[in-house]
Parts: sequence; structure tokens; C-alpha cells
Amino acid sequence: MTDIKLPELGEGVTEGELVKWLVKPGDTVKADQTVAEIMTDKATVEVPTPVAGTVKELLFKPGQIIKVESVIVKLESGAAATASATTTTAHKPSTPVAATQSTATVDVKLPELGEGVTEGELVKWTVNIGDTVKADQTVAEIMTDKATVEVPTPVAGVVKEFKFKKGDVIKVESVILTLSGSASTAAQPQAHTNGHAAKSTTSAAPTLMMASTTATTAAGIFPPVADSKVLATPATRRLAREMGVDINGLPGSGLAGRVTREDVLSAKGGSASVTKGTGTGAVSAGTPTMNFPKPAYNSTNAALEERVDLVGIRKKIAQNMQMSKAVIPHFTLMDEVDVTQLVAIRDSVKDFAEKNGTKITYLPIVMKALIATIKEFPMFNASIDDANSQIVYKKYFNIGFAADTPNGLVVPVIKNADQKTILEISKEILDLSKRARDGKLKPDEMKGSTITITNIGSVGGMYATPIINHPEVAILGMYKIQDKPVIKDGQLAAIKVMNYTITADHRLIDGAVAANFLKSFFAKIQNPGVLMMGLT
Amino acid sequence: MQNFDIVVIGSGPGGYVAAIRSAQLGFKTAIIEKEALGGVCLNVGCIPSKAMITATHLLHKAQHDFKTMGLNIKGGIDVDMKTLVSWKQSVCDKMSGGVNQLLKGNSVTVIKGTADFKTTQELTVKSSTGTDTVKAKYFIIATGSRPIEIPGFAFDEKDICSSTGALAFDTIPKRVVTIGGGYIGLEISSYLRKLGTEVTVVEANTSLLSGVVDPECAQVVARKAEKAGIQFKFGAKAKGQKKTKDGYEVTVEINGKDEVIKTDKILVTVGRRPNGDQANIKGVGIQTDDRGFIKVDAQRRTNISHIFAIGDICGQPMLAHKASHEGVMVAEIISGINRVYDAKTVPAVVFTDPEIASAGMTEAECKAKGYNDLMISKFPFAANGRAVSMSETDGFVKMIADKKTHILLGVHIVGPEASNLISEAALAIEMGARLEDVALTIHPHPTLGETMMEAAEATLGHAIHIIQKPLGGAHKTATVTK
Repeated sequence: MTDIKLPELGEGVTEGELVKWLVKPGDTVKADQTVAEIMTDKATVEVPTPVAGTVKELLFKPGQIIKVESVIVKLESGAAATASATTTTAHKPSTPVAATQSTATVDVKLPELGEGVTEGELVKWTVNIGDTVKADQTVAEIMTDKATVEVPTPVAGVVKEFKFKKGDVIKVESVILTLSGSASTAAQPQAHTNGHAAKSTTSAAPTLMMASTTATTAAGIFPPVADSKVLATPATRRLAREMGVDINGLPGSGLAGRVTREDVLSAKGGSASVTKGTGTGAVSAGTPTMNFPKPAYNSTNAALEERVDLVGIRKKIAQNMQMSKAVIPHFTLMDEVDVTQLVAIRDSVKDFAEKNGTKITYLPIVMKALIATIKEFPMFNASIDDANSQIVYKKYFNIGFAADTPNGLVVPVIKNADQKTILEISKEILDLSKRARDGKLKPDEMKGSTITITNIGSVGGMYATPIINHPEVAILGMYKIQDKPVIKDGQLAAIKVMNYTITADHRLIDGAVAANFLKSFFAKIQNPGVLMMGLT
Repeated sequence: MQNFDIVVIGSGPGGYVAAIRSAQLGFKTAIIEKEALGGVCLNVGCIPSKAMITATHLLHKAQHDFKTMGLNIKGGIDVDMKTLVSWKQSVCDKMSGGVNQLLKGNSVTVIKGTADFKTTQELTVKSSTGTDTVKAKYFIIATGSRPIEIPGFAFDEKDICSSTGALAFDTIPKRVVTIGGGYIGLEISSYLRKLGTEVTVVEANTSLLSGVVDPECAQVVARKAEKAGIQFKFGAKAKGQKKTKDGYEVTVEINGKDEVIKTDKILVTVGRRPNGDQANIKGVGIQTDDRGFIKVDAQRRTNISHIFAIGDICGQPMLAHKASHEGVMVAEIISGINRVYDAKTVPAVVFTDPEIASAGMTEAECKAKGYNDLMISKFPFAANGRAVSMSETDGFVKMIADKKTHILLGVHIVGPEASNLISEAALAIEMGARLEDVALTIHPHPTLGETMMEAAEATLGHAIHIIQKPLGGAHKTATVTK
């Protein structure tokens, strides 16, 4: 029998109030398991048992004040007993074996999140420590690229431990939380352990313990240990570790691929935000890494301010925008175009579209005009590979469109839009927009755009200067349609005009080229007949 | 009841180093030792054996080289074993005392006694003065290893000895049978032979130090040991021993046949086993593997997150310098610094005659790692001026490099001061040096160190002091694919 005492609760704290017991008599506990919650002056403290065993007696009731060092639980020491008397364990394995079994833990891993997605950022836990969860119940929300994915637990159990905290970037297959096993999950190892205990007396104790403890592995250390083939001096390896840079994935600029100090320093940026300290399993974001200053905001009026964590989609947007603005020298060209014909055409197909179960907006038509124009100006459907000093021209046309959602900006993508009809694109836009608002987009549906359209005009504003969706090199802005009086053939006439902007990467696209681009684009918008000529 | 931030169990080269660094980092630190400070290394291992080897090496030089050099000793050399052993002990005491001072100077509390985990938060420490409880936020287990005992050869440390007993012999035994031709057995056998003992080494493998060092290096040592008069029984299994009137009879089985060897003392050096079965390590749930090593991750953390294990207890290689490296690392990890064990090589040294030292991989290990195109060459000590002038010309420096990049993968030295030469190789390997880096570094003349530079040159195909093929156009630096 072991007495579990109330341990030190903090400097100067001599007693605490028992909030609740987390175990009951008969429960089996393992070393370090929380048995009670104690409230002190300021904080509620979880009290762990230092040894494993079976709870015999709880000596206090919730609400009672307990002095530090008082005995709070009487424990029949299971583990210690099995270890010191291995031979007896072998002969009558039933009690201790069964006892250890019920505390078997199950690791819940981050499942595959989508093709090519290797990691995601923890937005929040949807369960709490101590919660009982059912199989398939959502336990966490993970944000990948731009979508938030709900992660279910494959098995039922009681949530024991979270391995990550909000904002951590987690690699697929990392253990994200542990559950203390339910009866069903424990059943299998029990049979296994019984066999062992009977067969080998000397290994009985460690085998029993294995069922209840999660061995920490190299996988829990971040950055991962440098492979022996990595060419870097010990000092460089240490620098990489301290900066949270995974040296294994770092291309070395030195002779024979040697990773230099400079390589590590320049790789630091993107990952530094998530890897301070001895994080367990947090990994660097997959996006390009840059080192931005991180100035603090010192509150002068904190009482009237609210601080929330910059996480999730907002953080991703912040990173992307900062990077794009820093990398790309932007310029924006603005003009208006007569869309009288376009409006007429769109009105004329309204009924047709409704019969086909959709609604035609201007966006799919603009998309078609854009594709026709970038086929003439391939530098608008390109990327710059800065690492290799190359321009990448894309022979496929994936058009992203900026969608405003309650969580912030996302950019769903119409893949191979050049091969789809306006009707098909319309349906796809409606579907993607709705799911974007609901936060149900799959990561793949927000990847791979080659150029983006922002349709802020549907909200308001004459013109804007949008930010290019890096690694793209251009973004088309479309704005409100307005009636405008003009003098046409000496007569005052009412036409409809629409404002457009083309924002381009000046490294690749010169001002005159952008002007010609807009001119060609306007020709198609102004006279949709021209656009039809080019349709395949 | 005493309370600390960090408690280190065991004061060997892992433990005391961990304790000092912990204290340097500002932790309230204690170290628990049941025997002498400094552990096996300082008291019954590395240091005393080196003292004995140094003394007997001088004796051997005096007996064999002095005459050639014109130094005649009249009447021979009288070995006073009692003085030798007490000098050896004074070396140990000096080192152990030094550790004590360092611990005191860093305000580490030294607790004498035997520690057992009571819970994962506290230890009971039994000593001659009673039993105390010691609590800590973190524990570092550095309880090391002990010699393996084999059936039928229970240690009495007088006649049937582990290294501990053999190092304490205060008379020169006439005959010794050494069971196990590993490095510990060979080091002790070699110096006993120099003192005049008839030594028979019984080894289960077919060669010495097999699987431990480069086979060519082992050959040089085997040849010299045989020449010195050490008897070797390879492929031999020690079956048992019997006490007789004038000593012991050891029965060994060779090729299915039993053979009896008469001896006065039996030295059993078949390896060391981790002390994972002590200190109630398993009792509180710390996981060990089936050989008794505590399971740890690359930060040397056990399955219980506030308990670490370093040195012999946490895995191979069981070498003091690996333990020290881990000791520093773990203290820093506890202080919140992100560290991990990522050393490319743990150099190993064997104080045989001549010494063997290695860093990096052997040829077989390189192949296993996927390096198929290797450059391998040797440079003999016989071609080195300093070695010749020391009259120590046995051995060579062997280098192994990747042919594609010329990056140094392994260095294996057998020869004089190999133990002192290997550090350069370890540095080169950790730095990812190429053969050219070593070859183009000016090495001072006349030193044994020149052999490193020459071996690098030899591996590139053009050492100066041995005859190699004409260079042709190959003198240009090989282009290395980036």
C-alpha cells in the first residue's frame, strides 16, 4: 500500500481546496496520471500520482481544504509490486496485469489531410483533457494551406494528453493526443501481455509497463536529428537546431552539398515562428521561408484592448500577404470598359441558366475573357522560380477567385477552366463559394491556381490595388458596373461601364505589356462576339 | 527529505559532467554516488589501466630498446609491484579528488549512498548513516555498467577477476588466463605480459577485437601480442574451472574438443552489461530494453519525461566520452535549450600495444550505409620520421573517403599514440572535411601527426614518403560534383 501525498503546489502555497477527484476507488492509475484537481489561491492544479497502482481509498471529499504533504490517496501499488516480485507476477498474472491494462493508452495520429499535404496548423482542440470521446468524434481542427479540416479520433477513449498546442504546425502521422484506452482497445494487448508474463519471468515487468507508457521517440524531437549523411559542421547543426530549422531538408550551397551557416540563417524565417524552444513535433511551415522582423506591440491602454491569438486562416493570410508584398514588386493599371453588350448577353441567358439549375454571374464570363487574353500574353500565366532564377510558363489555366468568408479571405480554384463551359464554371463557382463560406473546402480545392481574379466590386469601391497571390504574377480586379453618360456619335447616350485593374509582377511584366494586356482583354469584354471567336 | 532541481545518480564521466553543467546553468543540483567519485572510469577502469600500461610500456622499452640505443642498465630492472600499485592508486585518488573539488566548486551537493527510485519523483538513498529521501524535478540516471559474469566463473576479485580485481593485483601473477579478447582483456593482458606473466587469451571469435575495430588494425596488434608471447586460443569457449593445489584448471572447448589450461588467476572480460536492473529503475516504470539498457530518445529522455539517462546505461557505445557529451547535452536540454545527440562519430581508442584508434566508419559500415565507391589507403608509421626515432614503427593510418566527394568517412589508426592522433580525424569527420582539407593542412615536422596528412595524400594517390604510382594528369584537384 502506498500513500499518495499532496505535493508542493507552488511557492508559499500551503494548502488547497479539492475541486474534484479524477479517479475513484478501484481505478488503476499509472505513474504521472492526474488523480485530482486542487484549487489554490489563484490556479487550479492537477495532482499526479508518482507511482502506478490501484486506487484503494480517497481520503478527502471535494470542497475540503487539504494541507500540502497530507495523504490524499491510498494506493495498492501495482507496478512497483510487479517489478520487485517478477516471479510472483508470472504465476498469478491476473490482478496486476488486468490492472495495468485498463490504463493502456492509445495514440491518435494526425491522418492524411489531402494529396501532397504533409502538415497542418492546429487551430483548436474541440475536446478537453478528461473528456470521453467516441470513435470518429472530431477532436481537433487543423488548418492546411487554406482549409480547416476536422480531425476525428479513430477509437473511443478518455482524452489524456494533448501533444500540441494551438498554433503548432503538425506533421501528418505525428501523434497529436493520447487516449486512455477503452475496454475494447485494451483487450488485445492484454492477451499478449499475459502470454509474455507467463513465458518470461524476467521481462514480465517491463512488458507490463510498455502497455501503459508511451515511449518517447526521435519523432517527438524537433527539428529531427540530423542524418549522418548531412554535411554540416557541429556548430552549424547546433545553430539549425536552435533556430528550429530541419537541417535534413536544407539544400546545402557549399561544396558537395555542404550546409553552411548562411544556408541555415537564410532558411530560418518561416519556421522560426512555430519552433521556439523544445517543441515536440512542431514542424516548419511548408511555404517559402523568409525572415521578417517581428516587432512587439506594447500596449499603452491594455484595459481597453483585447488580445487574441493570431492563428488559423488569419495567420496564413498574414504570412502569405507579407511574403507576396515583400517578394513581388507590384504595380497596378486601372481602366474602365463599356460593358453594355456584356450586360445584355448576361441578362439574355439568365432564364437559360436557371433552367440548367444555375445562376450566371459575370465572373465566369470574365474568366473566359481572361483565359483568352493570357493565352496571348503567356507571361501573365507564369511564376518566377527565384531559387533557380527561372521563369516558369504554365500551359494550363487554373483560375483562382478570391472569396470572402467569415473566417477571412480564401481563394478557391477552378481547375482547367479553359476546358470548361461557362455553365460548368458557374456551377463550380457557386459550389466552391458556398463551401468556402462554410469552411468546408478541401485543401486541394485551393491549390494550384495560375492567376487570380478578385471581385471586390460586388461589395463596393471604384478601384483597389490588390496583392498578387504568390507565386502567381498577376491578379485581375473587377469592380462595380455603373451607368455612365457618354457622347456617342455626337449624341448623349447611356452606357454601362465596369472598372478593372490588372496588378502585375514588374519583374516579369512591364507597364506597356500590362497596358496591351488590358486593351486585349477589354476588346473581349466590350464585344463578347470577339470572345466567342476565340472559344474552342 | 532533501529537495533539488536536478539529481544525478552516478558520478562517472557522464554523471559528474552532467552535474557540473547543471550547476553552471543555475540548477540546485545533487549527485549520488555509492562508491568513489568518478565511477568506474576514474577508479577501476580507464585511468588505473592507463597508469599500469604507461609503467609497463616504459619497462618494456627499457628492456628491449635501451640496449640498441646504447643505454645499458646494469643488473636489470626490479619491479616493485606494491609501489607500482600504490602509484596507480594515487593517480586514481588524484583524479577522484579533482572531481570532488569541481563538484564542490560548482556547489553541487554530493550525497554518498545507494539510490533507489521510490516514485518517479523521489529517491531513497541508503548510506552508512541511514536512509534519506531525495526529491527532484529532474533526474539524470548515469549508473553505468558492470562486468558480465559468466556461468562457472563467479568473481571473487582475487583469483577469478573482472577488470576491477585484475587492476588491483599487488603481486605479479605467474600465469593468467584471460577469457574474452575484447579491448579490456587485451589491455590488461598486454601489460601483465610485459610484467612477465604467462598470458593465455581465450576468445570465442576467430580473431581479436572482431567487429569492434578495423580488421587490419586488429591484425597488427595480434601479431605483436603473439610476438610478445601471449598465447591465443581462438574459437574457444570457456566451459569451467577447477581449483587445484597449485592454482586453477580452466577447461575450454575448441572445435568440439576440451582443452585444459593451467593458471594462477582467471580474468573474465567478456563485456559489460548496463545496470538497468538496479536502482528500482524498472519498478517505477522506466522502460528498458531486453539487454537492460534504458530506452531513451535522441535527447536521452526516458519514457518518463522528467527522467533522463546517459552513458553506458542508455546504450552503445559504452564509452566515457560519449557519456560526458550526453551529460552536458541533457543538462542543457533541461534548462530549455534545444539539443539533440547528433554526433557523427564517437571516436574509440584501445590501449593495446600498439594502440588502436578509430573515428567514423569502417569499410563494411560505409558499404552498409550505401557508399559504394570508396577511396581507401594507408600510410605506415615506418615511413614517419618521428615514429622511427621513437623506435615505434608498427602500424599505419588508414583513411576511407567517398570517391565522389572525397569526404572523409573513416580513419583507423594502429600505431604509437594512435589515441592522441584520432582527435584530428574526429574533428575532420564532424566538419565534413575532404581528403584535401587534411592533406593541405600543414602538419608540423617531425611529429606522428604527419601520418594523418600523408595518409590523406596517399588516399588521393600521391603521398610523398611512400612510393605510389606516377601522377599523370591527376594532380589537379578532382572536380567534385556539387
